[in-house]
Amino acid sequence: MKTNKKWLLMVLAFVLSVFLAACASEPEEDSSSASGGETPSESGDQGGDLIIATDSDAVSLDPHMTNDTPSANVRINIYDNLVTQDENMELQPSLAESWEQIDETTWEFKLREGVTFHDGTEFNAEVVKANIERILDPEIGAAVLFMYNMVTEVQVVDDYTVRFITEYPFAPLPAHLAHPGGQMISKELIEEDYAAIESGEQPGSVINANPVGTGPFIFEEWKNGQSVTLVNNENYWDEPALLDSVTFNVVPEDLTRISELTTGNAHITTPLSPSDVAQVEGTDGMHVQRQESSSLAYIGFNMDKEPFDDVRVRQAISMAIDKEQIINGIYDGAGIPANGPLAPGIFGHDETLNGLEYNVEEAKNLLAEAGYEDGFSATIWTNDDRQRVDTATNVQAQLAEIGIDLEVEILEWGAMLDQTANGEHEMMVFGWTTVTGDADNGLYPLFHSDNLGTPGNRTFTVDEELDKYLDEARQTADPEARKELYSQAQEKLVELAPFAYLLHQEYLLGVRDEVKNLSQLPTQLLQLKEVYIEE
Amino acid sequence: MIQYIVRRILQTIPVLIGVSILVFSMMHLVPGDPAQIMAGESAPQEQVDNLRERLGLNDPLPVQYFTYVSNVVQGDLGNSIRSGRDVGDEIGSRFWVTVELAFYSTILAVFIGIIAGVISATKRNSFADTGIMIVALFGLSMPNFWLGLMLIQWFAIGMDLPSWIPFLENTSWFKPSGWGSFSQIVLPVITLGTGSAAIIARMTRSSMLDVIGQDYIRTARAKGVKERIVIYRHALKNALIPVVTVVGLQFGGLLGGAVLTETVFAINGMGRLVIDSISARDFPVVQGTILVTALLFVFVNLLVDIAYKFLNKRIDLD
Repeated sequence: MKTNKKWLLMVLAFVLSVFLAACASEPEEDSSSASGGETPSESGDQGGDLIIATDSDAVSLDPHMTNDTPSANVRINIYDNLVTQDENMELQPSLAESWEQIDETTWEFKLREGVTFHDGTEFNAEVVKANIERILDPEIGAAVLFMYNMVTEVQVVDDYTVRFITEYPFAPLPAHLAHPGGQMISKELIEEDYAAIESGEQPGSVINANPVGTGPFIFEEWKNGQSVTLVNNENYWDEPALLDSVTFNVVPEDLTRISELTTGNAHITTPLSPSDVAQVEGTDGMHVQRQESSSLAYIGFNMDKEPFDDVRVRQAISMAIDKEQIINGIYDGAGIPANGPLAPGIFGHDETLNGLEYNVEEAKNLLAEAGYEDGFSATIWTNDDRQRVDTATNVQAQLAEIGIDLEVEILEWGAMLDQTANGEHEMMVFGWTTVTGDADNGLYPLFHSDNLGTPGNRTFTVDEELDKYLDEARQTADPEARKELYSQAQEKLVELAPFAYLLHQEYLLGVRDEVKNLSQLPTQLLQLKEVYIEE
Repeated sequence: MIQYIVRRILQTIPVLIGVSILVFSMMHLVPGDPAQIMAGESAPQEQVDNLRERLGLNDPLPVQYFTYVSNVVQGDLGNSIRSGRDVGDEIGSRFWVTVELAFYSTILAVFIGIIAGVISATKRNSFADTGIMIVALFGLSMPNFWLGLMLIQWFAIGMDLPSWIPFLENTSWFKPSGWGSFSQIVLPVITLGTGSAAIIARMTRSSMLDVIGQDYIRTARAKGVKERIVIYRHALKNALIPVVTVVGLQFGGLLGGAVLTETVFAINGMGRLVIDSISARDFPVVQGTILVTALLFVFVNLLVDIAYKFLNKRIDLD
């Protein structure tokens, strides 16, 4: 009996301690919830502590080390580029006040004076040189090297003048410097990072742990996998931002992010899935914000495999797909039909381009001409993205009408990237975002024969004429001549039909009504400088 | 006893070696290149090659494995491919979150499960018994991500209840995400614990029914011992042995299976870490997390075996 009682007591004590522990941990609640929705702002009427619920955590806060949207969305607030893009993808001065092409392979940038980094060091030509040289350094293995590998030298002319020498004439250089990879890091920090590499650390470890830029917000804290917090930089070289602080909270599940918005635990949720638009619009106190994007959703064909090596088959499939069905049924109207590969707003986009029209009869004729009057069977691959899976299923139904028997196969993302690069697919649902806003980035990797497989050309498109346009366009300085070349390239791409171009998606945000002045770039990056929270 | 524990701890070494080889080869056999995934779909070959070189992924596999193992033995789990951070640090902060989540859920499951199981067994074939078993069946078959989302809908966003229900006009009592405060812990613990509670209830019921039918219970009753004491002191104690085994296994299962709950409630635990890392083919983090989980699992099972000894002195551990 005695031991029985002892045993019971032990269990009771144990249970009690657990509950006490649960209660005791209450005060340590994390910043995400502590700073809650409606914290009053300290800096007067326009300010506040903004909380953004995002689907994934930043990967690295070192701008040279990764090339992903969640990281870039945080970094754009900490760092500045020499050149920046506005909502219309037009280039605007930032840390560089002006720039000009001196000769075919030389660009000169005049830098802004009196800009200081968050660590108090000064921004000047030496900083630019150190940043670009770090990207070009093979020892660093920078993820954004591909954006700048045409640069052979950075010359410091004087404290506030810097020259970029390129290997070949490269017209889109200013656009490339506006890419998140061109964000300027404090030179002192770069040197510290090099010192850490000497003592056995990974490249970027110092910068990633304590990023220092010139941007409108200063890095405060990063709880891995959970949240990143930034605070206002009162000494910003331009008008300081209005918000007191910005917190990016990681909330992977779509519906939980919407709950965060509903309960006021978050002010913005990104991304918002098109299928959740109705729920956000139907709830008081919040709304959906839409932004045209520079992205393309497409179906790619493997041109190395039969029957997709026949241009008539590719054209037939392109013509048998009603894009409106996909846009309205799957994307809830959040997108515009794509005529070709480039979204409106991208430099080089041809407004007069005629895409292949939706025409089932013509599609059947083309298939018959190609010798497939009875159709054929094929497989279409997609990853487990909600919209892409639905697109594949929809296309399966649409193509059944011209006799094509399509099997939908869902692949895990990593496997899909790997196997499409190896050319194991027949058809695939995929996407592309032209991050620089320049046609070069939207066409060269995808369709040039130098880039077969992993580099981006997963349709294995090889066309001499197309290669010629793309090569010439990236080396031509005159913007009008470039536009002309890109028009020709786009016409060629409609005719070749390596993709069935589906749509240019709109980016969607769920936003609480008290958030004012929020804007988003066509590259999905949030512009927070002028945002404030209305009490 | 000490000898037994030492022996059991030594036995974990081959288990861990086996786990490490298995995980290592499985991760490298699945298609997908971490450098390509990290670089993204819009990345050119040059960028991917740079990354692969930087991450040491060009070495032959056996070389990569032995480098890995010799580092692990020295306590270094390596660096994450994705973030470059120390794997020990990556796991460290998340380890306790998941252990806490699994622990509270197990406590909840044991509490509800045993009480429900005993009531069910003692009132066999009654209305209460049938009711409890139907609820248990629901608990068992309900997908926990769905339950989680429903709980968020009902108790975080809140329900619009008719005004005649007293005190309940607003049910947004808890927070939909995060981990740490009481209001954040309740919903995920219920979500994760429900399935286990159902399993434990069913186990307790059948085990109790077994024991109640035995001679020594009849003897105790014949002696005039109070029914309450017969059930809770004599019967339950013996009936608990299989239940403890189930609880141990459940706890292990909850550690690994917490991933859906962690995703729904945005809890930054090990489950989410391992899933994110598998998607990114972040080999060192996956290997490290699975090693730690395996170690924990073995440890919990050891505790279960020791618990047998407390429940029944006749069980010989040596």
